[in-house]
Amino acid sequence: MIEGRDEELSKIYRDAEEPRPPQRVDDNILAASQRVAGNLRRPATFGFSRRWGTPVAVAATVLVTSTVALMVYELQSGSDAVAPQVPRGGRTAKVSPVEPRADQPRTPPPVVLQPIAPAPPISQALQSERAEQRPGESAASTASAGARQPAFAPEAPRASDVLSKREEVKPAPATAPPAAASERARATQQAPAPDALRAFDVQPPIRPAQAPAAAPAPGANTLRESASTLQGSGAVSALTSRVAVSEAKERTPEKWLEDIRKLKIEGKTGEVERELGEFKKRYPDYRLPEDLR
Amino acid sequence: MRSMRGEASDEELMLRYGRGDARAFELLYSRHRLPLYRFLLRQLGNAESAEELFQDLWMRVVNSRGRYQPRAKFTSWVYAIAHNRLMDFYRANGRASFLSHEESESVLEDLPAAEIAADLRLDRKRAVKRLLAALGELPDAQREAFLLQQESEMSIDEIAAATGVGPETAKSRLRYAVAKLRARLGKES
Repeated sequence: MIEGRDEELSKIYRDAEEPRPPQRVDDNILAASQRVAGNLRRPATFGFSRRWGTPVAVAATVLVTSTVALMVYELQSGSDAVAPQVPRGGRTAKVSPVEPRADQPRTPPPVVLQPIAPAPPISQALQSERAEQRPGESAASTASAGARQPAFAPEAPRASDVLSKREEVKPAPATAPPAAASERARATQQAPAPDALRAFDVQPPIRPAQAPAAAPAPGANTLRESASTLQGSGAVSALTSRVAVSEAKERTPEKWLEDIRKLKIEGKTGEVERELGEFKKRYPDYRLPEDLR
Repeated sequence: MRSMRGEASDEELMLRYGRGDARAFELLYSRHRLPLYRFLLRQLGNAESAEELFQDLWMRVVNSRGRYQPRAKFTSWVYAIAHNRLMDFYRANGRASFLSHEESESVLEDLPAAEIAADLRLDRKRAVKRLLAALGELPDAQREAFLLQQESEMSIDEIAAATGVGPETAKSRLRYAVAKLRARLGKES
């Protein structure tokens, strides 16, 4: 019993009719309460997006940008490497060339797009080599051409050399090649042709006996095929010069300077200046030798 | 903060509503809607004013959600708001008697302990009518004390806290109210 409560009066009071607030009053109150509750909840979700929105956006931007930059870099590097079977060492040599040591066994070099000189000398070289080459042995010689040359040796065949040789070889399988040559050529063709990008993966060293030298990447094949198509129409020089530009990126400074020196000896001062300009752009801190200053 | 029946207490519901739980408010409203409305209606005797104050009262509850601290029972808190709104209303409408009217214990002692008439005990409908009429004739403070006890089942101390008076004053008002009502119900039959 509640203190001071008159139970008799309470019973009578409870029998009284129960007035109720109108429905509209109920609706107004409940609507207001829900509106306020909605406003209370929203900041919780908005607060999350407000707090984390900017950092997440920045992180996503950085991630996407770096991923795209990395992809572009790898694509460029991959497309520059014509031949895919480059051991990791071959790639690092692009940055810091290491002279082959005398005590090391001379292993067949990986087939890479070798540094080449600008277009005109290449065209000349192409013509002179074409003249020297005999038609029958082209496939075999082409297959072993890369294997004979170390990656960055001065006498290494230029990419355009390989290119031109393959251009000449290409018709050979179609027209019944000699047996030995065709076998070697088949071996070459059956050699795994990994993706150009895989050139950056760790690969087993190439055994001298097998030397699957010119197993080109699909991209490189396409380039060569288009080069052979364009051959004779005069567009080959443009193509080779484009290749030269891309290869110039791969050249070591020493090799580049050597090419420039050759140009200087040939008396092509305009090209020498242009090459020197590019060289300085690419290696601004490189100290030029006396004869090229 | 759970009730005996395992339901969430009023205080817990109010805190939940303060955190944005609209459903908690609905429960709270459904519990106190009718008693509060009856309290206001019988205190004011006017449905229009009662609706206005009722809505205003609940809007104050809604707007106080963030500041609510369960230092006392929710009932005491919400009826205190109702009391303050009534005081404002009385002031605005020139009903100052509420503020000045106080009965003394000595007067109370003189009141006869009336018995409710026998016929009213049998005729409940008439008894209710008579009670509501007698309730309307009570001084505002006494009626408020009686209504608070009936509608919210508050103790003397809680009534005192809600109305801002001492427990003795609250007790006095309540006793006066009961005595007067009984007297009215016993006089005429």
